[in-house]
Amino acid sequence: MIAIQNSDVDIGALITSAKKKGTGAIVVFDGVVRDDNIREMELEAYEEVALHELEKIAAEAQAAYNLISVDIIHRIGCLALGENILVIVVGAGHREEAYGGSRFIIEAIKAGVPIWKKELCRDGDRWVPGEHPHGRRPKN
Amino acid sequence: MTIKVRFFARFRELLGTDIVVTAQEGTLLLGLVKKTAEKSREGYDAIFDAKGEFREYVIVMQNGRRMETATAGSTPVSDGDEIAVFPPVAGG
Repeated sequence: MIAIQNSDVDIGALITSAKKKGTGAIVVFDGVVRDDNIREMELEAYEEVALHELEKIAAEAQAAYNLISVDIIHRIGCLALGENILVIVVGAGHREEAYGGSRFIIEAIKAGVPIWKKELCRDGDRWVPGEHPHGRRPKN
Repeated sequence: MTIKVRFFARFRELLGTDIVVTAQEGTLLLGLVKKTAEKSREGYDAIFDAKGEFREYVIVMQNGRRMETATAGSTPVSDGDEIAVFPPVAGG
């Protein structure tokens, strides 16, 4: 499942569905709203493009790390402290592939998928600066 | 012809989004975005430098495809195009 959505994610259900034939390792990445002295976080996406990019990243990871399953759910909208922002669940035959695939996916999302975060603070709001100024994925 | 200009994140807050612009044949992307951004000094300055070029960190997409901002001054827009302009991404 690849999705951008407002609603929360049932991580347990994703893990259950990732237990496919041949799967020996499942890695879950759950990015959550950190309490950096903020009230809540607002997320915005260029949805059509972001979804397409997530699908592309999932396909690349699947091919490069021999993954058996990939789920990526990125949330948008207003999120409270501790809420899930991004859930990545990958299943593979072995842990090396699962860890590698999960890492590849999160780094690729941070580098190039058009999604933005705004921290709503007690003393004003601020956009979270991107890590890759040119919006391009770093070359390996 | 009509072109849709979409700003995101901070640029959206300053300039709005989903702006439908009427343009003449031969209009170039750089000029189109400039004209659209002129309604807010702060918005314009966030996107363009003193020379009127896209700032180094600005990302531009034409119909969902990233383009080199350096070529925006020679890239024509077409009827029905969607131009997206946004700051560095910060998802995940």
